Amino acid sequence: MIAGLGLLVGIILGLMLQPDVPLWLEPYLPIAVVAALDAVFGALRAFMDGIFDDKVFVVSFISNVLIAGLIVFLGDKLGVGGQLSTGVIVVLGIRIFSNVAAIRRHIFHA
Amino acid sequence: MGLLDYVTSHSMDEDYAHVSGRKPAGGASKQPQAGLAALVILGLFGLLVATAAVQHSRTETVSESGRSEIITQIKARSAQVDSRRARIVEMRDEITTLETQFLETTNEGRALSTQLSRLGVRAGSTAVTGPGVRTVVDDAPDAISEQQQVLDKDLQKLVNALWESGAEAISINGQRLTTLSAIRHAGSAITVNFRSLSRPYVVSAIGNPDAIPARFVETQDGSAWLDLEAAYGLQFDMTSEESLTLPAANRLDLRHATTPENLR
Repeated sequence: MIAGLGLLVGIILGLMLQPDVPLWLEPYLPIAVVAALDAVFGALRAFMDGIFDDKVFVVSFISNVLIAGLIVFLGDKLGVGGQLSTGVIVVLGIRIFSNVAAIRRHIFHA
Repeated sequence: MGLLDYVTSHSMDEDYAHVSGRKPAGGASKQPQAGLAALVILGLFGLLVATAAVQHSRTETVSESGRSEIITQIKARSAQVDSRRARIVEMRDEITTLETQFLETTNEGRALSTQLSRLGVRAGSTAVTGPGVRTVVDDAPDAISEQQQVLDKDLQKLVNALWESGAEAISINGQRLTTLSAIRHAGSAITVNFRSLSRPYVVSAIGNPDAIPARFVETQDGSAWLDLEAAYGLQFDMTSEESLTLPAANRLDLRHATTPENLR
């Protein structure tokens, strides 16, 4: 419950403040969101499994976002930015789907 | 193990299992609680999502409004060009009228005026009328290769052959040929006097309508055209006309060329 509150506050804060993203950071934003989404769904599944841990969540969230950004950065420098981002999104997408499937099993017991 | 299998089976961070395995057995049975750190991170996540969404919609509106702005500008500017062009034609007519009016007042002027119009016929700055031949050329029916199309060099050959056969004034699709005219390819179209032409090409030439067709086939470029017609199926049709009227050329501005001092 309390975690949902944090999410809501964050969204409202973002919509109200509308922070200006510096231009050099802009290409990393979408992939950072996908990576963060993966960490959040992983955490939700762990919560349902009863093995959630604050520290693991914090570390996995931050490292996910940083690594995703790093991969895009490296890809841009090597000239394969688009392909690398696609690869990252595919892997993260598969993870998100299977995590959501596990969460669904918990909720509906099916 | 296949990559896809690995990704699906390890979709959740293994650290969660590691940490829970390390915990004492008593604590593991209790439902875990999300603490302050999780709250902060989730808040951060919400901020990230909202920022990304806001940023995306903002850049989208910027590029969208930019495009429509440019379109409006283009329309406004081309309308301006059209009106200026009309004004040029208007002023040119005015100049001619004033010029004739001024010259008609004196005897000397009248002589000058006659000379001017005679030179204008040669230079292409005055419209001319007279008997001549009209030549209509076009690509071969269902042309595939470039050889079956009328190219700029084909039109050049045709015009050269007409000059050689005694033509006194020539226009292509209403574009009068002058000393400054070029017949060339620009993109996929042929341009004459910087205006793009569309098929079929109508080449009107003023001259002796009885002599030109006969002389035409004797010139090198004329016979080349007959070869083109026979070999590649280009359409070529020359008819004699009792009376043709060719318009004046649009541009005849000399910006740099002047008469040398000793000839003035």
